[in-house]
Amino acid sequence: MIKSCYIHIPFCKKICTYCDFCKFYYNEEWASKYLVSLENEIKLKYNNDLLDTLYIGGGTPSSLDISLFEKLLKICKTFRLNNNYEYTIEFNPEDINDEKLSLCKRYGVNRISIGIESFNKDNLKYLGRDYTNFKEKIDVVKKYFDNINVDLIYGLEIEDKNTLKKDLDKILELDVPHVSCYSLMIENHTILNNMGVKPIDEDIDFDMYKLINDKLKEYNHYEISNYAKEGFESRHNLTYWNNEEYYGFGVGAAAYIEDKRILNSKNILAYINKKYNSFIEELSKTDKISYELILGFRKTKGISIDDFYNKYNIDIKELYNIKDLIKDNKLIIKDKYISINSDYLYIENEILSNFV
Amino acid sequence: MNQEKIRNFAIIAHIDHGKSTLADRMLELSGNVSKREMTSQILDNMELEKERGITIKMNAVRLNYKGYEFNLIDTPGHVDFSYEVSRSLAACEGAILLVDATQGIEAQTLANYYLALENDLEVIPVINKIDLPNSDVEKVSNELINTFGFTKDEIILTSGKTGEGVDKLLDAVIDRVPAPKGNKNSKLKALIFDSVFDSYKGVIVHVRIIDGELNFKDKIRFMSNNSNYDITELGYTTPKIVNVDKLSSGDVGYICASIKTISDIKIGDTITLDNDPCDEPLKGYEEVKPMVYSGIFPVETREYDLLKDALEKLAINDASLTFIPETSKALGFGFRCGFLGLLHMDIIKERLEREFNLNIILTAPSVIYNVCLTNKDMVSISNPSDLPPVEKISYIEEPYIKTNIFTPIDYIGPIMELCENKRGTFRNMEYINETRVNIHYELPLSEIMYDFFDKLKSVTKGYASFDYELIGYRQNRLVKMDILLNGEKVDALSMIVHKDFAYNIGKNMVNRLRSIIPRQMFEVPIQAFINNKAIARETIKPLRKNVLAKCYGGDISRKKKLLEKQKEGKKKMKNIGSVEVPPEAFLEILNLRS
Ligand SMILES: Nc1nc2c(ncn2[C@@H]2O[C@H](COP(=O)(O)OP(=O)(O)OP(=O)(O)O)[C@@H](O)[C@H]2O)c(=O)[nH]1
Ligand code: SF4
Ligand SMILES: [Mg+2]
Repeated sequence: MIKSCYIHIPFCKKICTYCDFCKFYYNEEWASKYLVSLENEIKLKYNNDLLDTLYIGGGTPSSLDISLFEKLLKICKTFRLNNNYEYTIEFNPEDINDEKLSLCKRYGVNRISIGIESFNKDNLKYLGRDYTNFKEKIDVVKKYFDNINVDLIYGLEIEDKNTLKKDLDKILELDVPHVSCYSLMIENHTILNNMGVKPIDEDIDFDMYKLINDKLKEYNHYEISNYAKEGFESRHNLTYWNNEEYYGFGVGAAAYIEDKRILNSKNILAYINKKYNSFIEELSKTDKISYELILGFRKTKGISIDDFYNKYNIDIKELYNIKDLIKDNKLIIKDKYISINSDYLYIENEILSNFV
Repeated sequence: MNQEKIRNFAIIAHIDHGKSTLADRMLELSGNVSKREMTSQILDNMELEKERGITIKMNAVRLNYKGYEFNLIDTPGHVDFSYEVSRSLAACEGAILLVDATQGIEAQTLANYYLALENDLEVIPVINKIDLPNSDVEKVSNELINTFGFTKDEIILTSGKTGEGVDKLLDAVIDRVPAPKGNKNSKLKALIFDSVFDSYKGVIVHVRIIDGELNFKDKIRFMSNNSNYDITELGYTTPKIVNVDKLSSGDVGYICASIKTISDIKIGDTITLDNDPCDEPLKGYEEVKPMVYSGIFPVETREYDLLKDALEKLAINDASLTFIPETSKALGFGFRCGFLGLLHMDIIKERLEREFNLNIILTAPSVIYNVCLTNKDMVSISNPSDLPPVEKISYIEEPYIKTNIFTPIDYIGPIMELCENKRGTFRNMEYINETRVNIHYELPLSEIMYDFFDKLKSVTKGYASFDYELIGYRQNRLVKMDILLNGEKVDALSMIVHKDFAYNIGKNMVNRLRSIIPRQMFEVPIQAFINNKAIARETIKPLRKNVLAKCYGGDISRKKKLLEKQKEGKKKMKNIGSVEVPPEAFLEILNLRS
């Protein structure tokens, strides 16, 4: 029984300098054809499971014109949702308006995720994003929804701790229940990378991370990059981190179904022509455990020892390389959970690479 | 073939003067290799030779020309491979001495010419690359006449590019190089001048038959250890393999005999017939003395046996490589290997990595030091970490060399400055002609091991060439410098340095190590010590960030791939104490003195 589903809308009105997601310039004709194919893919693959979480991401789903936007929401009506579902859609701040939000409300969306990234005009320019009056926009959202996430990006070479501090103060002022903070990654095939930008010094990066943890104290730091008020943790993202199965529809979308990790083709023309050929990774039990660990340890609470046992019939504490890490105090056991010592959370790859 | 119609000769020259290219033209002219099959420097058949554009191994081929059998050996030009040249020459009666018409006589021209004389060979002087617009035949002729005493009409002009003059050169080989002198009816004496390991055929030995005859059905005996074998294959290369039933005195060819016991084969050994042996073996070769030593260790300790096997097989093909087992506290079990120079060392490293697929660590090269102890005993050490405690040392001696540096006079100043900086003593200078000189300096061998070549090249814009000979040992104020990583002494990083330079070297060394060793999960101090006194210190800051921040729309495979890549990277590292050290760190000293 699959409980979660991700839908990818690959269109953006403007391309950000750091972006290496699967996205294309918005074009009404393509978008409309895309939705047709999307609907087809869902019909083909969705098994009528009762879902707990549904997430429409991108790209920028909110960039669709109002009629296409409604068409998207209509398509998503196909999914059966349980009584206590979480249904998120991503918005770019400029796209926020009463018309789109009330549509969302009408179609059952109950969580909005907004890519603010920064309040600082220089930062925004550097990231290739537009400035709007974010506070006003969030107030509009709040008229319809209380479950709101905002994204923040930090660690730009032009940024100092002071700028970040101001950004964090502004975030706090917004008084939203969920915040994601991502340190800027310079990925291949991005405008920044092409310009020769290098990642900032890791000591500064780490200082910024500490500052964020400090400023967002009233939130629960429940995953490396995510902060939530009690009860507002993203259940959809927890599906990933708990290594549970999910559908993924749309170009370049990832899914995890019946012990297979599936990655759809990133070719939008092929996708529009209903060629969904995907890359499939079949998982052995060892692979699954490997994923369980590298995902589970992203959560600050860690991995439930009992759940792990129930899933794999193995005592996680006795796993070959986990034992040593516990002895080294790199992993910590507390309240029947095993987690990464918070001193090592920001260098968790050093620990996780033991598990692949 | 009538012995009178055999001509055995080697092509010798300074590096890059066109030996292998000229051999191409000879192979073409004799019809051995058709134009269609021809590739540039066809005898450079090793991948590394092709990549670097240099000859590393000698290569013998047979060609037929005007009813004569020619056995030609192409030799390397670089100093580090001069043992290949001297072994080739012992299988020949003649040598073609090439000189690049745009360069003139260089250091290895001189060195190789004298090698040919030592072997009593007929030397044919050739000026090559005459097709080049900046060639100066007149000037180079005069150099040959004045330096070696050739006469003007002995000199032959060729171009390996256009083939011009190659026919005249081959005619000169017929006329001037004497036929082999051996006696076909005497008992068999065959000189092993090269060998190579082949996983199907066993060891293939390349021989020059000095006396007697060898038939396919014969049983052979190696005279150094009396082991005997039935021949499984006889032949020669053109460079294609040609099988024959018989090799007779004067011939150059190869023998296979399913030899799997590598230690039975010794370069320079004499092969005779088992049922009719000769009395005395041939003189053979002088053993080569390595110039530098370095430790070779497997990154993964369990690859020790593979490394041993690989070194044995390589040594079969490279008589100048020596190795004995060695143990390092930091690196475990490995081998102390002797090389003729740093290029040689680099080539062996690459061959181990490529041909045998090994992950290895090389430690800093070291010369052999003579250590006189307080009790008057003298010990030789090739590994700095073997140095006895200071209180037991009376003094230390290091090897010195005398240089031949061939250079246009414009660069005399910078060269002298360079040599002075390397603790050199000026001896004298010879004029080759009005514009070029040969500078003689005496230098510690350890000083030229590192960046001397590169420095020389850069201060002379590549116009100088360099060769050296050992002249003995001299006492100097030398001390051992130890490196401590995270408080632990790493024996593989110890080095012997001159006291006056120790402080600077120590500072540079810890600095370089700091930049080459990646951050770890904890802070790592690096220190340089002399006689238990710290002279330099750096700290590697702890790792602060190694995390993938975002999982794009659930694309988690990507995260796993990244972790797998990181893990691969870690595998290449050596764990010293609890510090992960990249193998290059142990050779970092090479980049140091610059
Ligand atoms: N123009 C011209 N170039 C030549 C001639 N002979 C060789 N070369 C070039 O000179 C370079 C060196 O030639 P090689 O034949 O590899 O020289 P080598 O003496 O065998 O070099 P080592 O074996 O490394 O000592 C190559 O780039 C050749 O193409 C020639 O007669 N004319
Ligand atoms: S970062 Fe988001 S909004 Fe910006 S181009 Fe990429 S997908 Fe579009
Ligand atoms: Mg060559």
